Amino acid sequence: MSMNFSEFKRLLGAEPRSGDPEFQRARHSSPEFEEAAADAERFETKLERATLIPAPDGLMKDIMAISQQPSEPAKSKGWWPLALAASILLAVGAAGITWNMNRGWDSVEDYLVYHYRHDGEKLMAQVDGGTASDVQTILAELDVQASPALADIIGVIKYCPTPDGKGVHMILNTETGPVTVIYMPHTRVTDGEMLAFDNVEAVLVELQSGSAAIIGPDRQLISSLSAIIQDSLVPVPGNS
Amino acid sequence: MNTEATRQAKFNQLAQTYGTDLYRYAMWICGNDALAKDLVQETFLRAWKAMDKLKDPKAVKSWLITILRREYARTFERKVPKFTDVDKVVVPEDSELEPEDRTEIEMLRQSIQELAPKYREPLLMQVVLGYSCQEISEALDISKSAVMTQLFRAREQLKSKLRKDGVTGNVHELF
Repeated sequence: MSMNFSEFKRLLGAEPRSGDPEFQRARHSSPEFEEAAADAERFETKLERATLIPAPDGLMKDIMAISQQPSEPAKSKGWWPLALAASILLAVGAAGITWNMNRGWDSVEDYLVYHYRHDGEKLMAQVDGGTASDVQTILAELDVQASPALADIIGVIKYCPTPDGKGVHMILNTETGPVTVIYMPHTRVTDGEMLAFDNVEAVLVELQSGSAAIIGPDRQLISSLSAIIQDSLVPVPGNS
Repeated sequence: MNTEATRQAKFNQLAQTYGTDLYRYAMWICGNDALAKDLVQETFLRAWKAMDKLKDPKAVKSWLITILRREYARTFERKVPKFTDVDKVVVPEDSELEPEDRTEIEMLRQSIQELAPKYREPLLMQVVLGYSCQEISEALDISKSAVMTQLFRAREQLKSKLRKDGVTGNVHELF
């Protein structure tokens, strides 16, 4: 039995490019069907156009960098146990952290653990001892700049999500090995707060503009970098 | 070529083949550029670690989408990202397009963002990922007829919105 027009319209609305033979036969069965199919095709073209989003620069490079990591079985990455572990290990000094609770992650510590597990090892693997290009350009987009001494040791730099919008993830080539710095332009933290998770230690530092998390293998190293980062990651002159 | 190199080559092929589609899809479901990139990277990270478990090459795409959707669901449990970035990352409209067509496309884009997730997701799977109704049915774990209904209604809502907003031109021929 041939398809009636109502049924054909319904199929057009559900799967306009269906290769189903019966649908294709119906499509060419009369001018009315052909016209409806042509209209639907015009709409699909616009729909495709409307949904077109190009891959951002660097996405492929970032994805392919994943394969530089050692391949191992996926580990369970339950979030709450991690957050709990992080909070237990917090060496909370002063009052509670300054945090805008409506930003998504429940705390900056949650964010750091989550983000570091996402990108930490992967970006560390990209460090080759050289200096990253576009350091100042990337930082300038967030209205900050690095002192020449700091810029020289930034081996990897990329934009990253932070609890309050776009930030920057950097890997520094220090004399004692790579150290991660995550710049959070709109996030406030309790200066000097330390936390530990997995096999790393982190310190949160308030900057003249925004804040940063410095993450490395030992507390002494990251503590010693705090003052340097505070002095070396500063607002671009003329921008508050 | 050694095993690790073979694995890497296979993984890079996956990235080249599906990376852009996954990002587009992620961008449309979460509407947040940074989160979309994060989701795609997490998806490929998990894929890299579990690649040896994948036996059927034909299932790669749906496997990656499943990982991405789970990761998004996990993120979504914790926060509702702001759906704000799509307009910033879409392809700029071709200046050769008629103004009417440009308007329609911009309104379509806006209307897609306003669709309820139960309509938006199958529609994006079809338009962005090229999924058939059957594949969407399997991915969303709902019947094929339910998928067809949702797709039909999604398109009807988009067309209705364009009509209501007074867009003239080809879209009117659809009614």
